[in-house]
Amino acid sequence: MIKKTIEELHLDLINNKVTPKELIEHSLKLAHKYQEDYNSYVTILENVKETKVTDNLLSGIPYSVKDLFSTKDILTTGSSNALKNYIPFFDATAVLRLNEIGAINIGKTVCDEFGLGGTGTTGHTGIVKNPWNKFHIAGGSSAGSATCVALGITPYALGTDTGDSIRKPAAFCGIVGFKPTYGLVSRYGVLPFASSLDHVGVFTRNVKDAAIVIDQIKGSDEKDMTVIESPDLTPLMDGKVKGKKLFYLKELCNKDQYPKMNSSLEKTLETFKKTLDKIKNLGIEISEESIDKKLLEAIYPTYFCISCAEATSNLSMYTGIIYGPRGEGKSVNELMIDYRTKSFSPLIKRRLVIGSYVLQKENQERFYLNACRVRRLIVQKMNELFNKYDGLILPASGGEAPLIERENEILTNEEIILEDHLAISNFGGFPSITIPNGFINGLPIGINITGKVLDDANILNIASAIENTMDYRNQIARGDLNE
Amino acid sequence: MKNNFTIEQINNYAKLLLFNLTEEEASTIQSEFNVIENNMSLINQIPDIEKIEPAFTPYELYIAKMREDVNEESISVTEALKNCSFVIDREIEVPKVVGE
Repeated sequence: MIKKTIEELHLDLINNKVTPKELIEHSLKLAHKYQEDYNSYVTILENVKETKVTDNLLSGIPYSVKDLFSTKDILTTGSSNALKNYIPFFDATAVLRLNEIGAINIGKTVCDEFGLGGTGTTGHTGIVKNPWNKFHIAGGSSAGSATCVALGITPYALGTDTGDSIRKPAAFCGIVGFKPTYGLVSRYGVLPFASSLDHVGVFTRNVKDAAIVIDQIKGSDEKDMTVIESPDLTPLMDGKVKGKKLFYLKELCNKDQYPKMNSSLEKTLETFKKTLDKIKNLGIEISEESIDKKLLEAIYPTYFCISCAEATSNLSMYTGIIYGPRGEGKSVNELMIDYRTKSFSPLIKRRLVIGSYVLQKENQERFYLNACRVRRLIVQKMNELFNKYDGLILPASGGEAPLIERENEILTNEEIILEDHLAISNFGGFPSITIPNGFINGLPIGINITGKVLDDANILNIASAIENTMDYRNQIARGDLNE
Repeated sequence: MKNNFTIEQINNYAKLLLFNLTEEEASTIQSEFNVIENNMSLINQIPDIEKIEPAFTPYELYIAKMREDVNEESISVTEALKNCSFVIDREIEVPKVVGE
């Protein structure tokens, strides 16, 4: 079952070639089999109940969900010691919608603590390892959701994306990662990191599956006033891409822009350019554009500044008084200080201290507010370009997933831009998808396509056409070990 | 490199956030702060940046639809308290707030 698309699985269920019970057993068996080596899950559910197969494509099919999504009566930790025993009494809207149509949750996946981090190495239950080579990171923060799909445990998994937390791990694990327009999917019940940048999205092994899942979870929600309506995406994917226009940025994609270049970066750029040639053969026009390098260099600090500032506010809800392991102390203040001191990892504390620093009255103007101004400039520039083009196409990263022990290596300014440009679509709420684009050094890399707000179907349609020119659709890591 | 941030400053920021730092954590943050400030200075190199209106959301958010003002059942006290292990009857137990 693991090599099949959602539509193929649905047909098998309708035709009684397989039952939901068999799919559950298969998913749980693989989840347990790979847990020790790759650590995809915080919780693998027991006694998972089968559901009735209906006309809905997702009925009777198992899925996994990042441990930032509240799940009724199921442990929800945010991969943090601060919530290590927290059991919500409600479902996040996205989870509720899946459950209501008969989709089957089989487990909660590991992420970087509260979604802060891009490596998958900071969750309280340990490091998530790359399914293609376990000495490398899977990428984060939605690390476990990426690995469980790449390993073929479930055909899709929910994730969240604040800077690149779906699209980067998708690239590193050789699968599809889609972050729709901001507000397309309700964030209600998702533990917040940076509310103006947080998106709900999905990991799949082909582009159409991503559209199918988003169609089931999108739409208005009285509990999240930022949700906007859009028509269903799947019916709009007509496969017609001739005459579409994409652009790439020369500052990021041309070798002459890099004073120093390691072999991974060189191979990534070469692979990217070869893929552009294939895309041109589809009748899609590709153009080179340029953006002021100062603006590109400001992407990472802008993201860092805004996300840390918003996290400082959002993480203030963790007091240890009404949930979380109670701290020790003689006053309420002492209880909270003890709880937060013991529960938060050093990485979270660093980010929160930085958030507090940029929000101090004396720093607010030059750091936080200026970051918000740069955000506007970047979004304006992108919207100008989206008036001329259907989308932006770029390598999803500057190379393959780093070795676990080398993920903290210092990058040059140019490399930092290529590693962090995906945050552009969080600044503007743009729909953005990563699809596999081959391998370097035995590990997958991806390309990313980003379009204007509410143009999700167009972006998915283009990505699907590009996917069909390559051999990576529905690929599975460790396929050699699967039965 | 000259360090513009003292350990005391960093501990004060942590105090505002209601957690303590170990010596090692504070020292790591101190060494990172100069790098971070340098990085942040890239933001301030954008010409005439102060003339731009800050953007706090991805696009101009609007409320598409107001919900009807309908009574709904709230969660039960049992549900509200089930993640807290310090409960007396219907209330959460905390240390005495008013001094002796």
